[in-house]
Amino acid sequence: MNKRRATWSLLAMMLCLTVMLIGPLQTAKAAGDQPLIYDEAGLLSPEDKEELTIMAKEYGAKRDTDIIIYTSNNPEGQDVQIMTEDFYDEKAPGYDHPLGNAVILTLDFNHRDIYLAGFYKAKEYLDDQRLDKIRNKITPDLSDGEYRLAFEKYIKTVYKYMGYKPGVNPDNILFNIWFQLGGAAVIGIIVVAIMTSRSGGRVTVSGRTYEDKSTSGVLEHQDAYIRTTTTRRKIEKNTSSGSGGGGGTTSGGHSHSGSRGSF
Amino acid sequence: MSVIEYKCPNCGSGMVFDSETEMLSCPSCGRKDNIENIPDPLKQQANAEDEAQEYHCTSCGAVILTDPETSATTCSFCGSAVVLGDRLSGKLTPAVVIPFAISKEEAVKAFKKWCRNGLLTPSGFMSADRIKGMTGIYVPFWLYELHNNVEVHGHATKVRIYTSGDYEYTETQHFEIYRKIRLNYLKVPIDASEKMNDELMDKLEPFPYEHLKEFKTPYLAGYIAEKYSYDDKALLPRAKDKIREFIDAYIASTVSGYTSVSYTDKQIDTNAKQADYALFPVWMVQYDFRKKDYTFAMNGQTGKVVGKPPLSKAKVAAWFAGVFGVSFICLKLISWMMGGGFL
Repeated sequence: MNKRRATWSLLAMMLCLTVMLIGPLQTAKAAGDQPLIYDEAGLLSPEDKEELTIMAKEYGAKRDTDIIIYTSNNPEGQDVQIMTEDFYDEKAPGYDHPLGNAVILTLDFNHRDIYLAGFYKAKEYLDDQRLDKIRNKITPDLSDGEYRLAFEKYIKTVYKYMGYKPGVNPDNILFNIWFQLGGAAVIGIIVVAIMTSRSGGRVTVSGRTYEDKSTSGVLEHQDAYIRTTTTRRKIEKNTSSGSGGGGGTTSGGHSHSGSRGSF
Repeated sequence: MSVIEYKCPNCGSGMVFDSETEMLSCPSCGRKDNIENIPDPLKQQANAEDEAQEYHCTSCGAVILTDPETSATTCSFCGSAVVLGDRLSGKLTPAVVIPFAISKEEAVKAFKKWCRNGLLTPSGFMSADRIKGMTGIYVPFWLYELHNNVEVHGHATKVRIYTSGDYEYTETQHFEIYRKIRLNYLKVPIDASEKMNDELMDKLEPFPYEHLKEFKTPYLAGYIAEKYSYDDKALLPRAKDKIREFIDAYIASTVSGYTSVSYTDKQIDTNAKQADYALFPVWMVQYDFRKKDYTFAMNGQTGKVVGKPPLSKAKVAAWFAGVFGVSFICLKLISWMMGGGFL
């Protein structure tokens, strides 16, 4: 009797778990039926495209943002920023509603220009500086023709940077999990080392213990200034490869952050 | 007449030093004699250094078995407290002594308490029920009075960093520094017994000098006492070594307010004015744990315990894991508060 009840409750629990696991997947699918990869330049194989789409969906869902890749041979020779803005107005991407949260990576193979734009939530979380950082990260791979690798990096970095509050430096070493683990390990080792070295008792006397204060002291004291030396160093300005650019507003009236460069 | 024993004038039992009352007391009839008033037999006897090196217990007549360094002990046959006078006379007469303030029972209690406080010691050790031996020893020390004349030349800098326009400026001011210091240290103790571990003895300090007494043999009754193995000249280098770090710390304290200091010339002239022979009270604890012997020493006045206890690997690991976990969470919280996301 008891055994049967246990089996039933186990089955019920497994059912619950399955529903819990499948549920979000289905809603994610329902939300993201629009394509995220617009490979008009034909850089990716169908498998690559499919896998990148899955990846972009998965990471984008966690940040409520569509992570979009748009490549074009741009036969009309349009400017890459205008291309991106028109793309947004035309395709109206967005995580939960059209013209919503989106980040777009545009590759213009006519001028070999690159543009990154963040809309709404992505504009807030991916300001010009953060987009510059992402662009600097992926530009070398794009120049080498490693498109798939560059796109993967782009998706992961967008996901990562959007996890940090706006305004802070996302590459701060304190945010690095390895730094945190390493730092905690170092503190642990130091504390335990101090404890073991102290377990046998420690020296608690200092010079003061035996010093004869009545006769000890500084007899002569001289601090002579000799000279001053000054060195100067030019403060490095943030010089990113290509040109900065920054954000703007689409002709449809959607303002965005941005970063442009070439590859 | 080199073996001294204190017989109770009332009942004839052997009297011993009582750490609580600081008097010579008789365990049988409870008579207590003030040590200050007892004539010290050492002072009366002639220097008898060339006498035969065999000692007989004045109570039972048995041969007293001792190490050549021992100057006070108990007769291994009848248990009487005996003091070997010729090992405490002449050059070997201590100038001062700090008597025991902690009795054997208190010492055992204090040691057990110390064991319980061990954060890394195995729990089997913490019960402290394997004490093999508890010996009260008067350890010989030399107390040095060291006068130092110190002269230091050095180079110091003050660095200021500021920005102006597109440039960052580093302005370094250079100074030539000179200090002439007189630094006198009194009663710097160095243990003079070959048997005692120097490191352990150094950690036992400080000994409370307000309890220093003029040496009298009755203080040794009931305890073991050692005579020095090294004279004051032989140990002077160790004393100089010991105060060297005190001197360095003192010099550093007189040079403040600089970004960096480097000494080009440090002259320390140490002059040993005086060295007094002293006996300090130490409880030596022999402890047996998992078939290994451990030795601990306890300051017979302050109760401070030193000596390497066994370490429990599990506890070390647990502490490391705990500290690691807490600091990891702290770092995570810091990063989260700075806007870094929790995962």
